[in-house]
Amino acid sequence: MAGERAVGLVRELQRAAGGHLPPFRAEELRQALEEMRALYERNQADVSEAKAGRTDLIFLIRFRHCCLLRNQRCIVAYLYDRLLRIRALRWEYGSILPNAIQFHMSAEEVEWFNRYKKSLATYMRSVGGEEGLDLTQDIKPPKSLYIEVRCLKDYGEFEIEDGTTVLLKKNSQHFLPRWKCEQLIRQGVLEHILS
Amino acid sequence: MFVSDCRRDFYERIVSQRVLLLVASDVDALCACKILQALFQCDHVQYTLVPVSGWQELETAFLEHKDQFKYFVLINCGANVDLLEILQPEEDTFFFVCDSHRPINVVNVYNETQIKLLVKPDDDLDVPAYDDIFRDEEEEEEESEAESDGSEPSDKRRRFEEEVIERTMKRRQRREWEARRREILFDYEQYEYHGTSSAMVMFDLAWMMSKDLNDMLWWAIVGLTDQWVQDKITQMKYVTDIGILQRHVSRHNHRNEDEENSLSIDCMRIAFEYDLRLALYQHWSLYESLCNTSYTSANLKLWSVQGQKRLQEFLADMGLPLKQVKQKFNSMDISLKENLKEMIEESASKFGMKDLRVQTFSIHFGFKNKFLASDIVYATASLMESIEKEGPETTNFIKALDSLSRGNLDKLHQGLDLAKKQLRAIQQTVASCICTNLVISQGPFLYCSLMEGTPDVRLFSKPVSLCLLSKYLLKSFVCSTKNKRCKLLPLIMAAPMDVEQGTVIMVGIPPETESSDKKNFFGRAFEKAAESTNSRTLHNHFDMSIIELKTEDRSKFLDALISLLS
Repeated sequence: MAGERAVGLVRELQRAAGGHLPPFRAEELRQALEEMRALYERNQADVSEAKAGRTDLIFLIRFRHCCLLRNQRCIVAYLYDRLLRIRALRWEYGSILPNAIQFHMSAEEVEWFNRYKKSLATYMRSVGGEEGLDLTQDIKPPKSLYIEVRCLKDYGEFEIEDGTTVLLKKNSQHFLPRWKCEQLIRQGVLEHILS
Repeated sequence: MFVSDCRRDFYERIVSQRVLLLVASDVDALCACKILQALFQCDHVQYTLVPVSGWQELETAFLEHKDQFKYFVLINCGANVDLLEILQPEEDTFFFVCDSHRPINVVNVYNETQIKLLVKPDDDLDVPAYDDIFRDEEEEEEESEAESDGSEPSDKRRRFEEEVIERTMKRRQRREWEARRREILFDYEQYEYHGTSSAMVMFDLAWMMSKDLNDMLWWAIVGLTDQWVQDKITQMKYVTDIGILQRHVSRHNHRNEDEENSLSIDCMRIAFEYDLRLALYQHWSLYESLCNTSYTSANLKLWSVQGQKRLQEFLADMGLPLKQVKQKFNSMDISLKENLKEMIEESASKFGMKDLRVQTFSIHFGFKNKFLASDIVYATASLMESIEKEGPETTNFIKALDSLSRGNLDKLHQGLDLAKKQLRAIQQTVASCICTNLVISQGPFLYCSLMEGTPDVRLFSKPVSLCLLSKYLLKSFVCSTKNKRCKLLPLIMAAPMDVEQGTVIMVGIPPETESSDKKNFFGRAFEKAAESTNSRTLHNHFDMSIIELKTEDRSKFLDALISLLS
């Protein structure tokens, strides 16, 4: 059935909720493009025949054209949605993505990600005076400068701005500057305690 | 050295530094820790909190963190040993020790630079004078220099004789001085006891800085009540401290008395209560609480059939129907609950229980939540020592610490359930020990050992639970025995700790008398007995009267103790 594979790609993305990035389905994409190419070629052949006089082929040509447009729409939606998710990852994880996620991206997507990073960095540097402003911190308005965190797993030593290190051992509690802890909270190493 | 102005010499010094908090595993330490954490969060002091349950953990934590921190605050640990010797810190490390264990080690008292003791000027410190125990090392150097001086041969002989006489005089003086020093130190360190609760010291600090809140006051109350529940302080001291806290309570909570201006029901309020000392009775049924509180169970002798009859008589005397009494307390008839306290007190004095009511405090917030201070103590203590293995031991500490915040009511209720189980287990064990005569007199002390297969014996492999069990057992034993001499003896209790490693945990408690000063000599006695018999013991707990030893060494250890103490 025409258009199945492309719709399959879109369905997979819809199932992967919550901004999760499933692996890049290069094979299915190739098959969908292959299908489009086959349809186009057949259309090409039929158009020349229709011009030669067989007007009953016009409906078939139109049908194939609709399939092509549908495939195009699905594939573009698939690629675009993945890009949006990758963009969100930059805001969540920072400039270095975990290996597991990078594995799921295609080479072009990695390229796009790097360019987006650069673009974001240039913008952040241009805003906020000399040093620039890191917009990816404090996405929710913070209530205090320091927060109390509890360590959920053994992480080892963690360095703070002024050079001092903190040993993060399981079940130890710390009172640290908020912005330093945000990364680790997102990664699940620390847990924010609200008293 | 003692810190006279807590605020200037302790708080101002650490407010701009990063601090490591080492907190012992008992409820008083948890409360003090909560108060200090609240102060630190107010002033943005960066700190790290590490729970420690014994000397080994303290040393490990110190070694791990000593490169990163210069300021250490020890709560309820470290005052009774020579800290510098055990930890071997660098010259620029500072220790602030807030500990209720006494006697404070003399090295800690007289160290001017590195160790600061946050201790209120208790009237019972009795630290020996400096000159009695420390002596300048220079005098010895003078002697050796004088000996090595060469001089003319003619005077040499006379001077030699004079020198010999001088030297022997000096040596004799030194020996006398050393003997007196040993005696003074022995007297000073012989008995262990407890001073003011650390939570109260921390609250005092908060009050001096005008940063005290009702929440902190409640934690101070819980810390003091913990000392009372575990029988660590004398009745007089408890009453005095209650008086001090009562002033703070009325200062913070006076708005409730004014009918028009009172606070919303959701705000937290503390009230002074002259309430029954029945454990957890408002969260349990009155009947269960009467059966499982040591005071009533011991006085009514509830392990015997006669005792059960007396309980029924007691209830009948008050006019409380059995059906009502066995229900949950909150579902009892209001008419019965109205004058309950006075009724019980009256009937109790007829049955020989004169102190059924005790001065304490209660906390209210919302419509459902009312707790007495002792309820919180039991709940937190059983959370901290729960035997369900859910990860490293520090998880229990964290759970218990969380349960002290008012937002974590589910943990508090979990703690209350565990506490009920624990109290029931204690009562059943006490009843079985008394009925089967497991408590034997060994001469200078009473001894009881729990066998491997006893139900709930795993609960008693933890120090605080075992101490609670021993105190209840001793109270019940004193009420049950007819032997007058046995009533004045202290008790040593042993329970299996780890079956695979074959260790036993042993606890010694002072005798149970009306006016006991709660001073415990078992710490030193255990040390000496372990030395003399080369038993494989581990003095890991901050309380010196709790040790672990190998099961095989138990009998020779006990024999050594008997000969030592008789």
